[in-house]
Amino acid sequence: MPSHAISSDSFSVTPQAITHQASATPLDDMDAIVATYEQRIFRFHLISIRDRDVAQTLTQDTFVRAWSARSSFRGDCSVLTWLMRIALNLVRDHTRTDRFRFWKKVSETAIDVSDISAHVPHRDSSLESRLIASEQMALVWDSVAKLSDRQRSIFLLRFLEELELSEIANITGLPISTVKTHLYRALATIRTHHNASLKDSI
Amino acid sequence: MNLHLTHEQLCDLILADSSLRASDDSDVVEQHLQACLICSAELKSLRDSLSHFRDASVAYARQEFAQSYAQRSSIAPPQSYLSQPLYWAAAAVLFVAALFPITLHQQQHSAAISAVKATAATPQMESDEALLADIDQKVSADVPSPMEPLADPTDGTTSTTSTSDQRTN
Repeated sequence: MPSHAISSDSFSVTPQAITHQASATPLDDMDAIVATYEQRIFRFHLISIRDRDVAQTLTQDTFVRAWSARSSFRGDCSVLTWLMRIALNLVRDHTRTDRFRFWKKVSETAIDVSDISAHVPHRDSSLESRLIASEQMALVWDSVAKLSDRQRSIFLLRFLEELELSEIANITGLPISTVKTHLYRALATIRTHHNASLKDSI
Repeated sequence: MNLHLTHEQLCDLILADSSLRASDDSDVVEQHLQACLICSAELKSLRDSLSHFRDASVAYARQEFAQSYAQRSSIAPPQSYLSQPLYWAAAAVLFVAALFPITLHQQQHSAAISAVKATAATPQMESDEALLADIDQKVSADVPSPMEPLADPTDGTTSTTSTSDQRTN
């Protein structure tokens, strides 16, 4: 990771420098932005890429890019929406490369479904309900891996980050109807796996 | 006539997005869900699956983030490294490699010191021997040097004077 620390010094801005700028943006206080959104951006990268080290690197890249392009932030969307747009572009750039496909196979830091299953919350203590919850989670986890890149990103923005469809449309630059279509298809894939699993269990 | 909810109707119920316009048949859908056990069971199962997926992902990401944050703020090697024998073997090799030049340097240093001592002692011994030989020679002389007859101071001037006399003559 380890070597992937975000230094707050690199984002420091003197008050004089801010006053010299024609228009100050909320992104000038990057320390506060990182403190507020780093965990959420990391989560999106981690579940999208499913590799801890890559997620750390992309999280840093997200904030570095945000800092570099802070002058282009017009304030017509929330800071989270703007950061998520950068994060989504980074995930898309990363997953397109052949290098990603290679390292996905050999990486030791890749997440296995068993890693996640251990974190399924068990609200009641019966063994049967715990097993069912783990199976349901694993089913969705495997189904998400089978989605196309765009479907997966939109699915995660909706069901992991719990963003509104209008926000997802803003992040992806797609119409709401297209976002809905991608979600319908993603849910159709999950539903198919779900029903197949139910039939197998019966 | 469709006996169960369509995929879109089921998805709209799962999405439950406030930005979505409420459809005209929402009341019909609600009534169907209350009456149809199959659709209500499938909807509940899908909602549970998505909820478990989200909860587990959030919890896992939180743990991973905390670990990476702890690694960043600590200068000590991570705990996983300390438990690996390979890490300790590498540390031992590095320690020996660092110790080797120091030992070599100490050996060379001691050899150089002994050589310098040897070279410094040789002229000292020679001068001591010369001094002793000189003392022996003086002690063994027949007449002590203070009692030796003085040299004739006119030896050299006589010859010079005669020569000058011859020139004047």
